[in-house]
Amino acid sequence: MEVKVLFFGVLSEVAGTGVKHYRDVKSVADLKIRINDDFPEIAHYNFRVSVNSEITDKDLVLKTGDEIALMPPFAGG
Amino acid sequence: MEIKYLIEGPVSQKLILKLIEKAGSKTDSGGHSIFLGQVRADEIKGKKVKAIEYSAYEELVNAEAEKIKTIILSEFNDVKSIDIIHSTGVVRAGEISLLVFISAGHRYHAMQASSKAVELIKENLPVWKKEIFEDDSHVWK
Repeated sequence: MEVKVLFFGVLSEVAGTGVKHYRDVKSVADLKIRINDDFPEIAHYNFRVSVNSEITDKDLVLKTGDEIALMPPFAGG
Repeated sequence: MEIKYLIEGPVSQKLILKLIEKAGSKTDSGGHSIFLGQVRADEIKGKKVKAIEYSAYEELVNAEAEKIKTIILSEFNDVKSIDIIHSTGVVRAGEISLLVFISAGHRYHAMQASSKAVELIKENLPVWKKEIFEDDSHVWK
């Protein structure tokens, strides 16, 4: 299985990309560990997670095609 | 006129005028409140901001902007219409990056609803900004 991860704001700079695909991740928590391994600096930032455009703090089970976004505090206006 | 929530670059005077023209057809409205958010040339540690580069999660912006409209319409039943437009990409200091246009039966409701909508936008719209300085260095906000 494969999921799509979007990095927004300062996190796109931390990851060096706005989008990255991950394979064989079971859940949001599992994905966070993988991302942390790839980009340890991300641990210094606060961010919220959305799964398929729904903001969630739950450790949801992920399936193929899911879109997960990592979003630092909003700064519009 | 179909207006999306996000536009590339600054909110132009032309677009603002178009909205004012459109508002003229709403003869049930007694007042329009127009909020324009402008990029400020802040000075940070001796460096001046020349522009802001905005990025957004479009799908979620659309969903959140719809929610904001629903909240405003349920709290202010005198409000007739709401337009929200936010920039993405580069907007230079002095240019407009956010427009909130609210029409209501009476001025008080238009102004109250506008204030509430702007607060909700600041809080809930998934938009990020990178302040770009005159020396081309930048900082994320």
